[in-house]
Amino acid sequence: MKRYAAGAALVAAAAALATFPLWSKGWDSSRYATTVLENILILAIFAMSLNLLVGYAGMPSLGHSAFFGAGAYAAGLAGQRLGTENLFVGLAAALVTASLLALVIGYLSVRAAGIFFLMLTLAFDQMVFAYAFKATDVTGGANGLSAIRRPELFGLSFGSPDSLYVLTALAFFLVGALTWAIVRSSYGRALVGLRENERRMRALGYGTLTLRLSVFVLAGALAGVAGAFHAWNQRFVAAQDAGIGLSISGIIMVLLGGAGTLVGPVVGAAAVFLIQRVLDSYIPFAQTVLGLVFVAFVLGARQGIVGVARQALARARS
Amino acid sequence: MTGELVVQQALNGISFGALLFVLAAGLSLIFGMMDVLNLAHGAFYMLGAYLALAIVRATGNFWLALVVVPVALGLLGRVLEPLLLRRIRGLHLQQALLTIGVALVITDLIRIVFGGELRTLPAPAGLDRSVDVLGNPYPVYRLFVIVFAAALAATLSFVYRRTRLGALIRAGVGDAEMLGALGVDTERLFANTYAVGVGLAALAGVVAAPILTLQPGADEEMLILSLVVVVVGGLGTLGGAIAGSLLIGPADSFGKVFLEQFSLALIFAVMALVLLFRPTGLLGRIRIGR
Repeated sequence: MKRYAAGAALVAAAAALATFPLWSKGWDSSRYATTVLENILILAIFAMSLNLLVGYAGMPSLGHSAFFGAGAYAAGLAGQRLGTENLFVGLAAALVTASLLALVIGYLSVRAAGIFFLMLTLAFDQMVFAYAFKATDVTGGANGLSAIRRPELFGLSFGSPDSLYVLTALAFFLVGALTWAIVRSSYGRALVGLRENERRMRALGYGTLTLRLSVFVLAGALAGVAGAFHAWNQRFVAAQDAGIGLSISGIIMVLLGGAGTLVGPVVGAAAVFLIQRVLDSYIPFAQTVLGLVFVAFVLGARQGIVGVARQALARARS
Repeated sequence: MTGELVVQQALNGISFGALLFVLAAGLSLIFGMMDVLNLAHGAFYMLGAYLALAIVRATGNFWLALVVVPVALGLLGRVLEPLLLRRIRGLHLQQALLTIGVALVITDLIRIVFGGELRTLPAPAGLDRSVDVLGNPYPVYRLFVIVFAAALAATLSFVYRRTRLGALIRAGVGDAEMLGALGVDTERLFANTYAVGVGLAALAGVVAAPILTLQPGADEEMLILSLVVVVVGGLGTLGGAIAGSLLIGPADSFGKVFLEQFSLALIFAVMALVLLFRPTGLLGRIRIGR
């Protein structure tokens, strides 16, 4: 009975979140809260995808924004070059582009482990950024890619901010459910095995390189989805969307929230966005605050916000 | 491409490589000794460059900056190591992530103090001329950078091979735990290593200030180039940093001429090839790939 109550509460909360713009009109007339929430949802998709790598498979990527950027450019360019606003065309373009890029970068970097993997993903990310920044005829270069068309499906347009918000929330729940299903599957357990003891996994007969490459591509593809929604939301893609700054923010989101937990990356995405964007409009040194908070968590609370909350909850119960 | 242009680009490439060597030597030293990937290396480089700018503005003396800035930032590193890195000794990945936080704070403070616009520093008096190289004028300061880095490489190489400190460093890179068992105070050695590594990053920043434009984001660019240098050359050895920078510097300058949009692609192609065929880097002992 208690389980059903928790499930019902979760569904109600999800429905409330997805329909936020509809019932917040009264007090959020400037749509500021809606914009903040939408950005957080997009970043949360990005952080959840990175968490598959960092939190579950134990692969600390510092180049994840390459796939976010690839998805954003692909969704934007597909709409412009193919002259269509079909949602599935844009999503497919983002998924395929991000996956292919992840396949190439992954092939070259999953052989390395730990810090070396981090080093290589960082370097390849810089390469993708440099290309995006300089290839003016494709990406718009330093000026960015502007006038991106928002998607529609079967005559249903997501051109208005409110309808796009609902679509973004749906994508967020879908990716969340997918992550949940992956983590509980035997594949997800194999990923955790990879993190805990890769040699034993190999001895058990797992093709660990293939496993590492597969999760790298999967995480890249989901980051591409986040990128596509970012492009539709902003109607603009900057080279910085494939830059190292976002990759660093991503890993901070995952670790700050709680790596290897389902909710952690979402909490982390909210915390990082609130510091980087909202706090930033009040104080001039928001990034310093983020840096200090991150250092404090790495030193004192490696299980992240979710881990600390769980411990506090357990202590309160006993 | 004419012969003169080739010579000019080669000199540009070598002087840029010389700069990368100073930066990468510090990164490689810290990594080889402590297994810490110092992701704040680019931030320390940038802080060094901006402090040089401030000192030259205040005193007009570049050479003062060249001495004071690396020492001051080395001391900062000497304080930060026991304060932060020592607390999570042995957790190499966490240590690398920690340095990201440090980098965020440093770059933010630089932005607040110096602003975001592009800055340059004129070459110091006496070196702000051009000399004739094969019938074409070439800036003296860039030649100075090459000589300076070569002298530094020779000095470091001497310290490495002939002094007691060098023996400690070589032993520490090989097996720091064993060194501790032999009675060496490794905690102090690590703190000093980090100080020297940060000092080298700051030195690179001062030397780079008259050549490269100072702007937000320069820290990331240089961090990544120095990472590529040590990955290509090999981690933990001085020879690796030299070989890597002599390869990547010219690859960068020629890449900018031939490939434009893909200038970085040449560098990363070199890195990818090295990783696929020589997982330890050209002269390294630590395997990067498997």
